[in-house]
Amino acid sequence: MTFLHPLALVGLAAAAIPALLHLLERRVPPEAEFPPLRYLSETERQNARRLKLRHLLLLMLRTALIVLIVLAAARPLFPTQSSSGSLHAPTALAVILDNSPSSGVVVDGRPALERLKGAARGSLTRAAASDRLWLVLADGVARAGTREALLATVDSVSVSARRLDLTAAVGAATRLVDAEPLPAREVHVVSDLQRTALGTGRAEVPRGVRVLALAPPSQAPANRGVGAARVTAGAAAIDIVGAPGAVAEHGAASVTLRVRGREVGRALAVPGSTVGIALPSLGPGWWMGEVVLDADELRADDHRWLVWRVAPPARLAASPSPGAGPFVAAALAVLEDAQRVHRGGTEVTIGDRPGAGTLVSVVVPPSERALIGQANRALAARGGRWRFAAAGTPGPIAGPVLPTIAGLQVTRRYRLEAERDGRRGTGDDTMVLATVNGEPWLVRDGRVLLLGSRLDTGWTALPAAPAFVPFIDALVNRVARGEAPISEVEGAPRVEFLTRGADTVGATVYGLDPRESDLTPASPALVHDVLGAELLDEAAFVAARFAGAGRRDGSGLLLMLALLSALVELAVATRTR
Amino acid sequence: MTGITIPRLSSTRDIPLFISFRESMPDVQRIDLLDPAEVARFGGIEIVARGVVEGFLSGIHRSPLRGFSVEFTEHRAYQPGDELRYLDWKILARADRLFVKQFEQETNLRAMILVDASRSMAWSGAPSRLTKRAYADRLAAALALILLRQRDATGLITFDEVVREVVPARVKSGQWARLVRGLVDTPDGQGTVAEAALVRLTSLLARRGLVVLVSDLLFDRELALTALRYLRHRGHQVIVLHLMDPGEAELSGPPEVRYRDPESAASVVVRPRELARAYQATVRREIDAWRMACRRHGIAYYHVLTDMPFGMALRLLA
Repeated sequence: MTFLHPLALVGLAAAAIPALLHLLERRVPPEAEFPPLRYLSETERQNARRLKLRHLLLLMLRTALIVLIVLAAARPLFPTQSSSGSLHAPTALAVILDNSPSSGVVVDGRPALERLKGAARGSLTRAAASDRLWLVLADGVARAGTREALLATVDSVSVSARRLDLTAAVGAATRLVDAEPLPAREVHVVSDLQRTALGTGRAEVPRGVRVLALAPPSQAPANRGVGAARVTAGAAAIDIVGAPGAVAEHGAASVTLRVRGREVGRALAVPGSTVGIALPSLGPGWWMGEVVLDADELRADDHRWLVWRVAPPARLAASPSPGAGPFVAAALAVLEDAQRVHRGGTEVTIGDRPGAGTLVSVVVPPSERALIGQANRALAARGGRWRFAAAGTPGPIAGPVLPTIAGLQVTRRYRLEAERDGRRGTGDDTMVLATVNGEPWLVRDGRVLLLGSRLDTGWTALPAAPAFVPFIDALVNRVARGEAPISEVEGAPRVEFLTRGADTVGATVYGLDPRESDLTPASPALVHDVLGAELLDEAAFVAARFAGAGRRDGSGLLLMLALLSALVELAVATRTR
Repeated sequence: MTGITIPRLSSTRDIPLFISFRESMPDVQRIDLLDPAEVARFGGIEIVARGVVEGFLSGIHRSPLRGFSVEFTEHRAYQPGDELRYLDWKILARADRLFVKQFEQETNLRAMILVDASRSMAWSGAPSRLTKRAYADRLAAALALILLRQRDATGLITFDEVVREVVPARVKSGQWARLVRGLVDTPDGQGTVAEAALVRLTSLLARRGLVVLVSDLLFDRELALTALRYLRHRGHQVIVLHLMDPGEAELSGPPEVRYRDPESAASVVVRPRELARAYQATVRREIDAWRMACRRHGIAYYHVLTDMPFGMALRLLA
């Protein structure tokens, strides 16, 4: 037995009040003459035994009355097997409410999120003041708070654009509750339990932590969505994703591409396929399109934004600089055949020193170490603030600007350093685009792009990699022009453009994680294996909550006993005179 | 015995200052039926007793106490309430008129009134009530006046631990004043030893007569009954008036109190509320015991509370 308000037990000292009053009443009573004392003495003699019993009984009843009231005020909790209508021992509880995009699916005319919110509310409503509570949403953040605060949060929850990695969330939640020194620890997973929501690995559930998962509906709706969309070679490539059963249920879906609000193409697609829709001839500039799929139960993944840049091919010098090396010359030849670059211009040069009269120079280190000083002087003469320094250590390439070459090994390089007191340039025209071992490897310095390694297999694995030609393409067509890559980020579908001055130099396309489109629920075995959770239907979930630590409040029974004692005391006090 | 008609009083405040009972207050009926404490405020024992007797006699139609033999004196007109056995049937048959015959005692009664003057009698349960002694004095005086008006020789003995005053039974004029003086001159005593007074009484009552004991009976019952039995054996008619203050009949008071016997050092601490019911039962048992014992020995016993109007108490004797 435990007490909800143990401090109230201090009041047990009041149980001594009846005895103290009895003792305090032993004062000298007032005196009075009473002639028929012989009658009184006779009466007292005849009733002495009854009076003693009465006094003892009244003392016991009054003491018991106070003890019962104090115990009731302390709210004693008795262990019970039943969880319904009972209190529970102090519990550390984390409720994971999966409001990821898939929770927006409409099942039987009702958003799945409403059902999940109802279950989460049920768990939080049954929490007591002595419980420690957290609420984890799709953003993965564990919100600690009172029951009322978390209930308000649940009420305000809407479908999020973020995907929830249930495995990571359950692991974090179990660690959180396990750290609390409370008698019971539970994690309630209220999710549609998508198969794809279970990330890699498995959640390590500490001993003593119960993980309860609300079972999803037996049949998930067949869904399809736009997984990805990109523009390549004058056409939009659109990936359609979804549950495999969607084809049988709905057949092929109609995909529409709109550019600036105008429909430019339409195609039929099934989940798992990629369709291409040809783009019309568009003028130079940034273009934004929208891919729209026929509506189904999950509307959030039925459209996706698309951004691409239409620009003329870069114009290079008529003959490549011999200092660039043979691999660069070969790549430029390929790009020229693909009409990605043109010869005879002065827009971009690639060599071991800045090209005179060209707009942008891509400078690689000279093959001879003795020529480094000469190259640095040429860079300085061009107004550059960066220069080649001592040889650096080998390492992989890293950097977000050129993701296609990330991870490729660099075996030989020069460190790139800013000339003035180690400052690497703080102007708008200076940017570190890629690093090796945390040191600059590719730097944009005004109109110069400085590489720390020669584009040769003796220096780096890049020329031998498939990404080499696209790298050269991006280098002369995009990076040399100061443009950032078009990035895709998980979030509410929208497009954000990156500008520099009056120029648009990049764009970020926000969209849903394609894995959210597959609504197939995980099997109970998978849930148990990965999350270590008991998969329970709604009735069982309600019954299992706090069931391991069920407590019944005994204060009502004690108050009844106190009332009974008071009635008996009243009867004894009045009827036994 | 004819019944007594008790007039209804609207309020005791209707009574003016007492001067002369019948003449000055023709509309103030039956002062003997007023609250004894109210009546006592009218004056001393003599005035109160006289007023009580006036009121009392106006409500009855014959002597409350009869002698051993009676002699016809005169006729008077029948009044409702008269006993039919005294109706003169011959006159009724002859003249068709209702007359009753009246008789006069041939032999005067010798009555002795014993008044308990012990310490316990000087007690009242409330300031608004007479003490038992005051009540007893007035009742005894009224009773003596009635007896003397019937030309019965009436005497008085007051006693506590010893016999305090003795007024031999006489019927001559001034006897009532001597009786009253005897009552007034007897101070409140200490303990009560009734049997001693009763033994002394036997020597004072040579002829058979009436003995009226007015007491709270807070003494040993068996010893007192022995003496009363002896008087009864000697042929006396014995009447016991058991006086009790209403505060003695019911126990009340503060939550806890030490009650002390005024006649001894004995005391007891009680909680009145706890014992009230049991005490009432004890008092009832005690009264019943006195009543049964008196009845067994041919002694008339009457229980009188001190808030009982004097007329009602006298009516008990009628």
